[in-house]
Amino acid sequence: MTRKKVKLAYITNDSARKATFKKRKKGLMKKVSELSTLCGIDACAILYSPYDSQPEVWPSPLGVQRVLAHFKKMPEMEQSKKMVNQESFLRQRIAKGNEQLKKQRKDNREKEITQVMYQSLTGKGLQNLNIVDLNDLGWMIDQNLKDIHKRIESLNKEAQSQAAAAAAAAAGQLIKTGGKVQEEKPAFDSMDAIQRQQWFVDLVNPNEQMGFAGDDMMLPFGDNNHNALWPNGFFP
Amino acid sequence: MATVRKSKGRQKVEMTKMTKESNLQVTFSKRRSGLFKKASELCTLCGAETAIIVFSPGKKVYSFGHPCVESILDRFLMRNPLPNSGSLQLFEAHRTTNVRKLNVQLTQVVNQLEGEKKRGEALTQMWKACKPQCWWAAPIEELSLEQLELLKVSLEDLRRKVARQADELMIEGKNPPAFFPGNSVGTIVPYAEWMAGFDPYSHKYNFGYGGPFL
Repeated sequence: MTRKKVKLAYITNDSARKATFKKRKKGLMKKVSELSTLCGIDACAILYSPYDSQPEVWPSPLGVQRVLAHFKKMPEMEQSKKMVNQESFLRQRIAKGNEQLKKQRKDNREKEITQVMYQSLTGKGLQNLNIVDLNDLGWMIDQNLKDIHKRIESLNKEAQSQAAAAAAAAAGQLIKTGGKVQEEKPAFDSMDAIQRQQWFVDLVNPNEQMGFAGDDMMLPFGDNNHNALWPNGFFP
Repeated sequence: MATVRKSKGRQKVEMTKMTKESNLQVTFSKRRSGLFKKASELCTLCGAETAIIVFSPGKKVYSFGHPCVESILDRFLMRNPLPNSGSLQLFEAHRTTNVRKLNVQLTQVVNQLEGEKKRGEALTQMWKACKPQCWWAAPIEELSLEQLELLKVSLEDLRRKVARQADELMIEGKNPPAFFPGNSVGTIVPYAEWMAGFDPYSHKYNFGYGGPFL
């Protein structure tokens, strides 16, 4: 079997054309048959050639009649909805190809700009970028900042609830053992869960300010030295 | 080096009805398209005429016909003897030219797609190579809180630099004001305002930029 790329044009050489026709006709019928078997569906093929007044058919003249009858019974709109000829079929494939091309280009652009962003973080200059690149880069930075912000928030929330849980366990012990503290118990039980968490954390860190939103995020156990390591200029 | 296989590649398929419903749908879709492609090629290469009708697993009917399904069916059912009028031949010749042009177009698109895919793979390779040295290139989920805070600060700093650079470019007049969509010619829009309304993926891509990033 040749693997040469065939030019999609009418084969002018008569014998070559006839040979190609024989091979491809056989292949086509095989493909219809396979499709029908693999997917358990009805199908038929009618093929006219310059070599024979009678058409070649699949599966059989009777089989074709059966499929055609089924086809004709369908409403006109259903028949023509997915009907194509060479032109329309090619247009469909071109449209699909363009869609895939657009998506691939977009993905590539994202990868590229992300690379630029990472390299710029190492101090690489922005001089070689034009206005479009800069705009895309700015957008990418914003996207990343959004995701980082979300992630930081969720990590802090986790740390919060873990701290509250730990404090709850510790305080629970306290309540059980200390006589004085036992009076607090009914009051504690009547609080709702969030209040309880807050209360425990405040118990452990009486001077800390609890901010859950925005840039004033702090870890509950006074790990504020964090923020002193690098400039705080844009925290409002 | 092991490469991740995106699909299983060419494998021998057993000629019996497929069992997995999801696979069946995909197979139908792909094979139907391939079948029509083969039919189309046969017609172009050998001057054949054909009609193929297939019913989908979802009871929809797909058909391909050259010159068109209806004329072939009529001919088969002997409603129309073989037509050979002069005007019809002219019509067909015109259509053949269209088909040839469309084939050229399709080949172009396919080649471009291939090129972009290769480019995508190359970019991914570059990224993988740089990852071990660049901790900030790792996915956000893998970073510690400290790293995240540091990265945040660095990115905010970079954002300011980008804004500054963009302002400089605009002032230098390296990019003509006509570039900005919806603005009157000659107006220079403050960068932040302009950037706020800009969707980077709705414009034509600028692949002409120079620099070391390619």
